[in-house]
Amino acid sequence: MTPRIINAATVSGKPRASVGGSSRRMDFATLGRAPMQLTLGRRRITSRDLQVVEAAEELLSEEVPEPDGVAQNVSLLRGFNATIPSADKSRARRRQTRNVDTPRLGLKRLGMGARGMLGDEEDHEGESVASEEDMVMIGNTVGRGRKSKAKRRGRESLSAGKTFGKEELVRQTQEIERDKENIHVRRALMNNEIAEITHKIETLDAMRAKLEQDLLKLQEDELELDDELEGVRERLELETSRTRGAHADHAIQSSRRRKGPTFLPSEHDELPPGVAFMTLESHTTPITALDFSEPYGTLVTASQEDSQPRVWDLLTGEEIGRLRGHQGTVKCMQVEEQVCVTGSEDGTVRLWDLRRVDEDEDWEGETFSLSDVAEEDESHDGGESHTNGIRSASSQPSSVAEREGPCVRLLEGHTKTVSALYFEDECLVTGASDKTMRQWDLNTGQCVMTMDILWAISHPPASAPGSALPNHLFTGAAAAAGSFAVPMPPYADGSWDMYQDFVGAVQFWGYALVSGSGDGAVRMWDMRTGQPHRTLLGHTAPVSCLQFDELHVVSGSLDKSIRIWDLRTGGIFETLKYDHAVTALQFDTRKIVAATGENGVKIYNRTSMQHSSLLTNGHTKPVERLRYMDRYLVSGARDSTVKVWAL
Amino acid sequence: MPTELPYAADAEVSLSYDELEVLRLQYQRELSQSHVTTQTKFNYAWGLVKSPIREHQVEGVRLLQEIYRAEPTRRRECLYYLALGYYKFGNYEEARRFNSLLMDKEPSNMQAQSLASLIDQRVTREGYIGMALAGGVAAIGTILLASLIRRAARK
Repeated sequence: MTPRIINAATVSGKPRASVGGSSRRMDFATLGRAPMQLTLGRRRITSRDLQVVEAAEELLSEEVPEPDGVAQNVSLLRGFNATIPSADKSRARRRQTRNVDTPRLGLKRLGMGARGMLGDEEDHEGESVASEEDMVMIGNTVGRGRKSKAKRRGRESLSAGKTFGKEELVRQTQEIERDKENIHVRRALMNNEIAEITHKIETLDAMRAKLEQDLLKLQEDELELDDELEGVRERLELETSRTRGAHADHAIQSSRRRKGPTFLPSEHDELPPGVAFMTLESHTTPITALDFSEPYGTLVTASQEDSQPRVWDLLTGEEIGRLRGHQGTVKCMQVEEQVCVTGSEDGTVRLWDLRRVDEDEDWEGETFSLSDVAEEDESHDGGESHTNGIRSASSQPSSVAEREGPCVRLLEGHTKTVSALYFEDECLVTGASDKTMRQWDLNTGQCVMTMDILWAISHPPASAPGSALPNHLFTGAAAAAGSFAVPMPPYADGSWDMYQDFVGAVQFWGYALVSGSGDGAVRMWDMRTGQPHRTLLGHTAPVSCLQFDELHVVSGSLDKSIRIWDLRTGGIFETLKYDHAVTALQFDTRKIVAATGENGVKIYNRTSMQHSSLLTNGHTKPVERLRYMDRYLVSGARDSTVKVWAL
Repeated sequence: MPTELPYAADAEVSLSYDELEVLRLQYQRELSQSHVTTQTKFNYAWGLVKSPIREHQVEGVRLLQEIYRAEPTRRRECLYYLALGYYKFGNYEEARRFNSLLMDKEPSNMQAQSLASLIDQRVTREGYIGMALAGGVAAIGTILLASLIRRAARK
């Protein structure tokens, strides 16, 4: 018998256990439920049930915090009562109490007729359903009165003869109070909703901004990859030409135009970006020019009042030697592998072989020049001793044959300070304060052409009809008068100089030459004819630095701005404004690095249009010169130090 | 501040079909806009729980569970409604657990206390039924056994 009972119990228990919950206790309560289940439980057990049941366990274990915010003020039940459709019933009811029973006026047909619409012939739309006791009937006196005495007695107002009764009115006030509370409740709920949604929108906006930034970053990466591709392609060409035994002395493209990444020691990756990791201190006056052959290669720096640029080994940070020969401050230079070209205030341009700087160190030969004394070991400049005067009075350009010592060649011809130069392969272009630019052949040392900027200013190239007349800073006469000197705007530390370089910068490629000059104009010349064919006007102060690539010309000037021009059309793409005069710049597809009269080196990101500044372990006085290759930047400042940065 | 809750009797009063339909439409509309406010969900869930149809009750409890999961601030009220829902379709075990959680938080809550006593009543009533059933089964079993023995003895 007992087994049967147990069987019965288990049989009845099973359907309950699968539906009823987690408890497996067999007690009388569960037994009692069994008949109900068996008889009424014919319905299928749906997944809903199971879901509900299983979830209960999990939910019970969750924490129940104190309610706060809207949850505390407005309970769910209140909200329910305020927002269900029947909440509005009382209002409808009250409106009905104000319904006046008038003979059919046909208002709807009237209205539709007034709008020009055909009315329904059906006139008996259902009157609104309301409980009988709510309808207040006006006696038919009004209707009858009208029929009898239409003219004289004015029609009574609709509300005349209507009484509600005190109870009704009290009830109505109570209902209205309740409705007002409901509105209060609903308002609280809606405010809460609005706050939540605003919060969500803000989060989404933040996400969108972040994604847009990432998009810009991708663009930058793509530009970098493009550059890398070009660099690799060049390398491929070079190496295939080498294996084929072609001229090994065909120089790799000038470092100024090379695009791809350079070779860097693996340790360079470990350097924190944006920090100056090497400082070279040896000069005593502000740095006026610097250039280096390659990262961790050879660096040449020059400073004011010092006619001997110093040569450094960037691997060790040690000074290797000096370049003796110039008589005045070196204002501009360019270094390509082991060749260095410098232009100085004495009006001469010298070509140096940097490999020979080491040899000089132990030389104890006689000195011929009037400059440095024999106190130091190194000596011997390139032999422009007796045979040629330091500066020939005639304007004939002359050169000196190779002598021992690092100076390989001397190019004379300019009468005033050589303030800008650029060379590539065998061609050199220099610009000087005598307001001319000269093109030289470095093999022979001869000046091939002289381009007169003054002439170009007074005879501007034929401009297209209808375009505005060029607005020069200096008229031809003024420019010709005397030496050119413009006070610069002060640097960040308040110091300023007289800016006397009429030609601020030059660069050429093939036959196209671009120059930036003291009248604020950027001119594009054809070196075959020696004539400028285009003038880019926009700067209001002398142009101090410029660079161009296939698409853009970027020029910086003393008017505290950097302008980016379109090379083909001459239109301005962008103008970047700074706080002080711009003295040096270099750019690539992704960034512009500029020295703008502050202690920090300014970097402008061209894709994200963000400015940043290199300050860590930086200079203590305004930066004047800089040069970078790939992730290696060298900067020179008025504090007479040269710092090397990892970008 | 004690939570404002309805007495269990309120759960036995169901909404009219139209009203429930309106709530359902409101809920569906907000669902299609993929932004459902808690109040709408609760309105619909509560309307479902009040209904006498068991499927509705289960669905209502499911929605209440979702609210419970999603809104920590509303959990305390949901405890009560969930207990009520379980009570309506007969899961007294869960009902009791949720309700006791609520009473831990608010021992002086009248509605929770009344719900607790209701649950106890039901459970004991079923216990009586069970006992009666067991007794009846036992009685029938004894009679059968006795008749068998008698038959065997007679043989």
